[in-house]
Amino acid sequence: MSNLMSPKSPQWWKKDDVKKTFILWILCTAVIGYVGVEFHVRNLVNPASETMSSIITLMRVFTWAAAPVAGLVSAISITVLTSKRHYGDNPPAEADHEIRNSPKAAAVWIVISGLLCLFALVAGLIVLQQDNEAILDSKAIQVNVTGQQWLWNFDYENGARSEDLYLPVDKPVVFHITSVDVKHSFWVVQMGIKMDANPGYTTETAVTPNKIGVFDVRCAELCGLLHAYMQTKVHVLSQADYDAWLSAHGATEAGA
Amino acid sequence: MTTLTQQKEVAPKKSIIEKLNVFTALALGVISAIVVWRISLALLPQDSESARLFSREDKITLLSMCAWFVGFMTGIGALVGPFRWLMGKDLSHSENMFLAGENMGPKRYFRYTTDHKVVGIQYLFITILIFFLGGGLAMLIRTNLGTPEGGWLHAQAYNSVVGTHGILMIVGTIIMVTGPFGNFIMPIMIGARDMAFPRLNALSFWLIVAAAVPLIWGQFIGGITTGWSAYNPLAGQAPLGMDGYIMYICIFAISTMVAGANITTTVVKMRAKGMTWNRTPIFIYGVVASVALALPAFPVFFLSQVLSAFDRALDTSFYNTAGGGSGWLYENLFWIMGHPEVYVILIPAIAALMEMAPVFTRRPLFSFNVAVLGIAGISGLSVLVWAHHMYISGWAPLLNAPFMLTTELISIPTGMLFLVLVGTLWRGRIWMTMPLMSIMALLWNFMIGGVTGIYLSDVPADAFLHGSMYVTAHFHFTLMGAGLTGAIASLVYWFPKMTGRMFDKTLSWIAFWLVQIGFNVAFIGMFLVGLAGQPRRVESYAPTFNTANLVTTIGAYIVMIGMLVLLHGVVSSALNGVKAPKNPWQAKTLEWTVDYPIPLENFDVLPTVTTDAYGYGKAKS
Repeated sequence: MSNLMSPKSPQWWKKDDVKKTFILWILCTAVIGYVGVEFHVRNLVNPASETMSSIITLMRVFTWAAAPVAGLVSAISITVLTSKRHYGDNPPAEADHEIRNSPKAAAVWIVISGLLCLFALVAGLIVLQQDNEAILDSKAIQVNVTGQQWLWNFDYENGARSEDLYLPVDKPVVFHITSVDVKHSFWVVQMGIKMDANPGYTTETAVTPNKIGVFDVRCAELCGLLHAYMQTKVHVLSQADYDAWLSAHGATEAGA
Repeated sequence: MTTLTQQKEVAPKKSIIEKLNVFTALALGVISAIVVWRISLALLPQDSESARLFSREDKITLLSMCAWFVGFMTGIGALVGPFRWLMGKDLSHSENMFLAGENMGPKRYFRYTTDHKVVGIQYLFITILIFFLGGGLAMLIRTNLGTPEGGWLHAQAYNSVVGTHGILMIVGTIIMVTGPFGNFIMPIMIGARDMAFPRLNALSFWLIVAAAVPLIWGQFIGGITTGWSAYNPLAGQAPLGMDGYIMYICIFAISTMVAGANITTTVVKMRAKGMTWNRTPIFIYGVVASVALALPAFPVFFLSQVLSAFDRALDTSFYNTAGGGSGWLYENLFWIMGHPEVYVILIPAIAALMEMAPVFTRRPLFSFNVAVLGIAGISGLSVLVWAHHMYISGWAPLLNAPFMLTTELISIPTGMLFLVLVGTLWRGRIWMTMPLMSIMALLWNFMIGGVTGIYLSDVPADAFLHGSMYVTAHFHFTLMGAGLTGAIASLVYWFPKMTGRMFDKTLSWIAFWLVQIGFNVAFIGMFLVGLAGQPRRVESYAPTFNTANLVTTIGAYIVMIGMLVLLHGVVSSALNGVKAPKNPWQAKTLEWTVDYPIPLENFDVLPTVTTDAYGYGKAKS
């Protein structure tokens, strides 16, 4: 930020407005980073899987990475707005300089934004790689998900079928998702996974639930009249409860 | 054919074009539509057993809408010129002067007038109308979402309101800067007498009017129940109102292409003597980048909707998996248009604020080259990022990483625009006006829109956020918080040049604060419910989301009041405002060198440019 000064002036860091902006920059960065993280983390759903936890971590990291940039823009804006302001119908006197550019400032700015961009990319790729590997887990249980207007059907390996989703805790699960009519989107909210259900194709996503409880499944793609009501629950059970549920429903295929 | 016969009958002095105006256009459009409707109703064969539900009705609807379109454009006089060429002639000089609206008074606003200033005012009028309608629909949405159980609007009506609000606002924001100011101000700013193709200019405006009617028509035959993105196969099973959407988009796409070719040519070929590229104002770069970006984008949009119409009316299977097509094809076509399109909206608005920044800080624009590089970088990258809308569509998971790369790269040129703006504000003499504060508002809103865009660009985070209210809040922050803020500032800034009167200062401040505060309240509340897991486009939601939704609704009402104050400001200032001096802001671009009312062809003697428009500030020496 200090580079926004003219490179010619010898002691630019000693000028009042630079000092003021620098202090404001530190303050704004701290406030924006803290408020941004708190806003996201407090309002985000409670994670029910490692996938969701890593999304929350990512958003925390991205917020802090963006905070210095946002803080600098805010600091300069505050400095500018708290400097001498001119009101009235006629323009104030011309500024006492005619700085047209500062190659140094531009270079620093571009290099830093490039590095931040690279950082965000790498952080995202690491998590993405973990998510992708989960689909290939050979020990995972397989569930077929079928969307239709306006409900979900879940088919398990032993032939059971249900409209609520039942999963064992701490066991990887791979979903094979399709639709019988229009596009839907299978969103297990608290587990941080989402994948479209396309008619005629099967798409895949995977997750390992790590909390016992009841969580939400919602459709995240406008699918017609009752899109808003196309939601169901996912019941994450202990392995014993899950096995019991599965064997009780396997033969009948009656649904939950 | 009507044109031909009428043309022979009229006396040579009273030309056909003098008889045509918006009323003959409406009449001919309606008559054509009714005639074609009756004929197709009588002649089209019944659907076979295997045909889809609405195939015949779709054919009839689409044919009638096409007839409306051709009838309207004939009636407004769009075909007179081309028809003359076909006959080996051209319009006479007096006819051209008539078309330019010479000495015609208010009537010229209701005709196929070619003067760019008239077209600019026409665009301004229709932009305001679109925001009025789209804003009204937004209020219906927000009112319905004030309570969790929904049902204030019927679910079908609600979906249609959401879709219509979306597409109206997309069109409104696309034209809100390049339409009024790109047409009225831009040619004067570059020292030209008019646009390169004045008749295409009139054409691009009247096409938008022609497009509006099928959209309204569609509301009465089932509505647009698919959201503005009109994904197939949902659009294939949507009611007949979908045909209205299809026609609306096709005609609007032609308008955008025509305007894009016209504005690009004008800027490339008609800049004043001495206005080299590095003396061309930054606003011009913004306008050109915007319309030039629309040039590759909108033919794809047009095509996607033509295929959609084929699927509906002719039982083809472009988007139908069972017949060998794919909904993913539609998604690709749609977003190949859809992502450049958001920058079509954003770039001219930011460029307009960059144009105002030196004026209201009395110092040169900081880093003109970086500004141009930023605009060029955004434009270039924006055509390579479309599949970030499809991270979770399952279309090509392997492409997620490369599209994440291109998407995140856009933050670099976007950052350059921030650098230019804060660099210009730094050590400027701050002139507290509504446009100056709009720059501040843009920095704030676009910062929030941009940072939330980083989360969304990230594939794992998008797996949670995609399709939630978070996305809705994000793009409202960019398109409305940044884009519309720039457009409203442009209106206040160029109002004296367009109307000869100053925009009422008090009203502009009241509108500014109401809109900005209401906007932030509304959409920060919407981020919140998105994070908590509320999907978009739902007419009811879990009771836990109620508080934040109510906050959003209250914010939306504050925005509405602010926009109504703004509208009142436009009308009252245009009628009774203080007479504006020639150059009220003491700006240095060429449009401030002409007197109001600006004569036809703008300049007696074309100006010669010897310097850029940012020569503010005193040298230290």
